[in-house]
Amino acid sequence: MEAPQYVAARVQQALAEDERTTELGIRVDVRGEQLFLRGEVTSEERRDLIAGVAEEAAPGLAVRNELTVADIREPGGEEKL
Amino acid sequence: MSKLRIAAVGDVHLGEDVRGRYREHLAGIEEKADVLLLAGDLTRHGTLEEGQVVADEFRDLPVPVVAVLGNHDHHSDRPAEIAALLRDAGIMVLHDDAVVLDIDGTRLGVVGGKGFGGGFAGKCASEFGEPEIKAFVNHTKRIADRWRRALKETEADVRVVLSHYSPVNDTLQGEPLEIYPFLGSYLLAEAADAEGADLIVHGHAHKGTEKGMTPGGIRVRNVALPVLGRAYAVYCHDGDGHC
Repeated sequence: MEAPQYVAARVQQALAEDERTTELGIRVDVRGEQLFLRGEVTSEERRDLIAGVAEEAAPGLAVRNELTVADIREPGGEEKL
Repeated sequence: MSKLRIAAVGDVHLGEDVRGRYREHLAGIEEKADVLLLAGDLTRHGTLEEGQVVADEFRDLPVPVVAVLGNHDHHSDRPAEIAALLRDAGIMVLHDDAVVLDIDGTRLGVVGGKGFGGGFAGKCASEFGEPEIKAFVNHTKRIADRWRRALKETEADVRVVLSHYSPVNDTLQGEPLEIYPFLGSYLLAEAADAEGADLIVHGHAHKGTEKGMTPGGIRVRNVALPVLGRAYAVYCHDGDGHC
């Protein structure tokens, strides 16, 4: 059986290199038959897309999509230098 | 010299699916800032389609916009064409050079470009061994040399260095230590410390920290959007600490 660390590394590489995602900052962890995705993305569509690419790269594992969609707040006060 | 309000953000990573969403946050920017700096990684993987979204998102703003590209904007090997799209939209794009803006009589010099990696003093790559490693380190050295020259030649009241990669490790805190050499290089800070600057802004390190400084005492700000959590930061400068 492939070590979970190699599976996680393969998924992380797929998320970075797949033209559909090109996401470098996603944390990927494999525990037993589960694959956990954590981090922040810019839209719901990308959240789903990333889970799909991860599933393709690690078929057979249950993807637990814990990615959050980043909320852009309004600019706050200025910093005085 | 009147005060200067410098807005900055990086790593907006725009694509067709979020077209128009960032623009909403730019309404009224002229009341908060005098200039907007974009610290690279404006696209996701550097396609011309994404470049066009960026151009449309930042065109015709009531304040001047100065940008550098990031590593994502190079991914499809079309950086020059993306820069041209941005310039057509009135956005100034730096490529290891400088621009001087007259803002209500104050000359703001912005110097910079993408920057590159290699690591930080004492824990960095050097031009030794295989040609691939030499080329990696040499790329950063050449960039730092060009920034040094550009800073030397830029006459301005306030000088800001705009980069994608980080010049210091202060603003990387939160990132895994193992990837620091891919996040920036001390050579960039060394160039700014040698010639002098009032502020350095950069992006690239999404999990890093906003505030840091160079060994020479220049303030460094990591303005990557995931670090800021807000549409842009505003830094106010007037030369004697009063805004």
